[in-house]
Amino acid sequence: MQTNLLLLTVFIPILGSFFLPIAGRISKNFRNHLALAFVAASFLLSLIILPGVLAGKTIIFTKFLPLGFNFVLYADGLAVFMSLVSSLVSAIVVLYSFGYISHYDDQNEYYFMVVLFLGSMLGLVFSANLIFLYLFWEATAIVSWRLIGFFREKNHVLKADKAFLVTVFGALVMLLGFINLYQQTGSFDLLVIKDGLKMQAASSLAVALIMAGILSKSATLPFHTWLPDAGVAPSPVTALLHAAVLVKIGVYVYARLFVATLNVEQFWHTAIPLICGASALVSAGAALIETDLKRVIAYSTVSQIAFIFLGLSIGNIIGLAGGLLYILMHGLAKAGLFLCAGIIEQKTKVRDITRLGGLIQTMPLTAAAFILCAFSVMGIPPLGGFFSKYMVMAGAFNSGNLLIAFTFLVGAVMTILYLFRAFNLVFLGEPKTEPVKEGEPVMVFCVALLAFLSLAAGIFIYYPDKVVGTIVQQIALIK
Amino acid sequence: MFSLLVLVPFLILVAVNLSKKVAPNVACSLTALATLAQAGFVVSLPGTLLKTNNVIFTWLPDFKLAIDEFSIVVLAAIGIVAFVACCVARSTINDPGQRATFMNLLLVALIGMNTTVMLRDIFSIYLFVETIAIISFVLISIDRGRLALEGAFKYLMLSAFATILMLSSIALMLLFSPTLELSGLAEAMSVYPNPILIKLSIGLFLCGLFIKSGLFPFHWWLPDAYSAAHSAASVLLAGIITKVVGVYVLMRLSLSIFGESLHIQAMVMAVGALSIITGAVLAMTQKNFKRMLAYSSISQVGYIILATGVGTPFAFAAAAFHFFNHATFKSLLFVNAASVEKRLGTMDMREMGGLSNRMPATGITSLVGFLSTAGLPPFSGFWSKFMIVLALWAAGKYFYAAFALLASILTLGYMLILQRNVFFGKLKDGLGGVKEVGPGLVIPQLVLAAIIVLVGVCFPFVLNKFIFPVQSIFLK
Repeated sequence: MQTNLLLLTVFIPILGSFFLPIAGRISKNFRNHLALAFVAASFLLSLIILPGVLAGKTIIFTKFLPLGFNFVLYADGLAVFMSLVSSLVSAIVVLYSFGYISHYDDQNEYYFMVVLFLGSMLGLVFSANLIFLYLFWEATAIVSWRLIGFFREKNHVLKADKAFLVTVFGALVMLLGFINLYQQTGSFDLLVIKDGLKMQAASSLAVALIMAGILSKSATLPFHTWLPDAGVAPSPVTALLHAAVLVKIGVYVYARLFVATLNVEQFWHTAIPLICGASALVSAGAALIETDLKRVIAYSTVSQIAFIFLGLSIGNIIGLAGGLLYILMHGLAKAGLFLCAGIIEQKTKVRDITRLGGLIQTMPLTAAAFILCAFSVMGIPPLGGFFSKYMVMAGAFNSGNLLIAFTFLVGAVMTILYLFRAFNLVFLGEPKTEPVKEGEPVMVFCVALLAFLSLAAGIFIYYPDKVVGTIVQQIALIK
Repeated sequence: MFSLLVLVPFLILVAVNLSKKVAPNVACSLTALATLAQAGFVVSLPGTLLKTNNVIFTWLPDFKLAIDEFSIVVLAAIGIVAFVACCVARSTINDPGQRATFMNLLLVALIGMNTTVMLRDIFSIYLFVETIAIISFVLISIDRGRLALEGAFKYLMLSAFATILMLSSIALMLLFSPTLELSGLAEAMSVYPNPILIKLSIGLFLCGLFIKSGLFPFHWWLPDAYSAAHSAASVLLAGIITKVVGVYVLMRLSLSIFGESLHIQAMVMAVGALSIITGAVLAMTQKNFKRMLAYSSISQVGYIILATGVGTPFAFAAAAFHFFNHATFKSLLFVNAASVEKRLGTMDMREMGGLSNRMPATGITSLVGFLSTAGLPPFSGFWSKFMIVLALWAAGKYFYAAFALLASILTLGYMLILQRNVFFGKLKDGLGGVKEVGPGLVIPQLVLAAIIVLVGVCFPFVLNKFIFPVQSIFLK
């Protein structure tokens, strides 16, 4: 029964997405609601399997295939948590798209791609076989390529190609790392690999190769430049792919492979935080001088992803819990920021923040949602982002490496600076554009919902914290 | 039953030429049916049939036709591509006389290819390879344009050179072997004391085959020939003819003759790797749709050759798999090119842009072909390329494995250039009136795309039923 639910969670959006272009020929409304239904179904199904999984019952579906390519779906706390976050944000983004995307061509392709993306994402999250993990990984890259180039401008397609090439290159290097693991253990099945490498650390060559893939997908130094460029995509796409979900793939795979499955050499617990520290500072600096609103937020994503990596890689329990919590909090808040940017862009037709101003007078709700989400990203209590950032920093200080801890402290301060700068320029001061009205109700509702969720996740921190705590215990137990 | 593979095309050939009145369309339809039947027949063969008796025809002691698991894969590819070429010819060759000529050539080529796949002695293989080469010259120059004649002439010249090499090699082989039948030849080689003579003879023959397959450093005839030829002819040439006369023969010889020699293996792998990189890098610089596909072909054939050079059963099976996949996805891309050429009348990519908007079926199927060529999952090209990488790795060729994997990024690079210039993007001014091509071109595109997707998604079935059995040839 539970296995069937798991299969449905993954395959409803994957197979369902192919019906959307057909549904679009019947009626736009029907297609839109069908898309939302598929995404919401995945969210609800993940919610249904959550209690059992937290109680310690893992769900495994295995289909044996030749060459060690077994198709294995494996649901533990970590996977279900990730699928909940992904499908929640996706559902809100699809709802927002009802308003945003209705002005443009190729809507069938849009909904098809977005729902297919969620399906591939969930496939990746639940895959316990490296080959299928790679398969879904590339599927998200293909979807991302089409969606970044959605408006079909020459310049946009070039940037889409860039994102595609960078992430696929990383993925190919990662595949080489997988083959390296295959050589050590004779299987691509993570459960077999785990048994095979119980007593020893995974070879550092394999770890380094896989890290290249992870860093490129999660847009971390030195593979980060594709993410700000990907801002040419429609705003809901940027929110979904390049802030809340797709860029978390690298983070998730890091947690799945190097935290929950394999042992890595000790020096990685210093090396990875150092790379990420550099990434956090460089991108925060870029966010401080950028003038394009979406690029500011995109650089902010690069910077915040580094905090997640810090939490996961620092090697203690509080950091790990903080890192996981960060995935949720950052997903909600950053999606909110991008969706706000989408409303502003669509209404004013301007993305340069130096040419915007005073929007708080005409767009009070959007402004309120923006500042709440920004507070969460900055880590200001009582919003959700505060708790996750606090726990990650606590993990960093507990590790005893003060260089790393202070680097990230500087990064956190810079986060506050560039987000206030953006808010200040866009919403405060004198209006510089034609007076515009508040966005469409459904779009404003979505950003308000995300802001509210960010706030609620902070006030009721007990519940997410409990879930994450259980997951961390599970991981610690099986190792 | 297998004799029908040769007899049926032959009968059609005779029938359509008996009277002048037979319309070329009838020839088209008959051939299309025959080729479809061929693909269906070989694919539906139960595995047990092969294990009992694989020699199907013997004439002289040396001359026999035989069939094995590898032949099945190649015969299926021949059937599919020839079918597609029929469809393309029907919608793109307007002059009835030319179309009749094309159909005749296609039928002769089909007979030649089907026979080549079943032959087991090196001299007959050489004869049929030459026959098909002559057909290719005519195919390339069928519409008598200046570029087409130039392409055909280049191929003719290089091919003559290949003939000399292959004939000399056969003469050398006769010095140490009483027979030219492949297994007898291999036996004679294993007892002959002078390894230099053996390596020389094999090396000469291989060079001939490298020319025929368009591999580095003999690759430069191929883009001219493919791009100047008529669309239908380029589908046939790029999709299957050069693959059978060059690549298939090389693989067949590697099975029985040079599979054991380390030097020869190293040389074959080096040629494969160099072809991969040369083809891919040159493809990036092209402005002509078909020329880019031609260079891509060089690169993809490099993968097959690289895997053939490894010499393990698994690598050979992987190469056979990529052979089939390459035949399907490269034919698909050439049909896409044919569709675009039919509507725009040019192959210059600078004059194209955003065609997906106007030609959705062509645009979407070109995506399938592109992603499969670039080796992205879940399309068929990924699994065969990945098997090649695994085989290289398992054989301890770590450098080549990493090289083959990372070279995929080059494939992705030029394929993205193609997509950006032709299909994905804003519609170019003046192309607003372009319409989707008719069913004559859409159907083959959809068929090929479906094969690529199905082979990719149902890969365990394909591997178990067709590809893994290929390894058993090594036991025989």
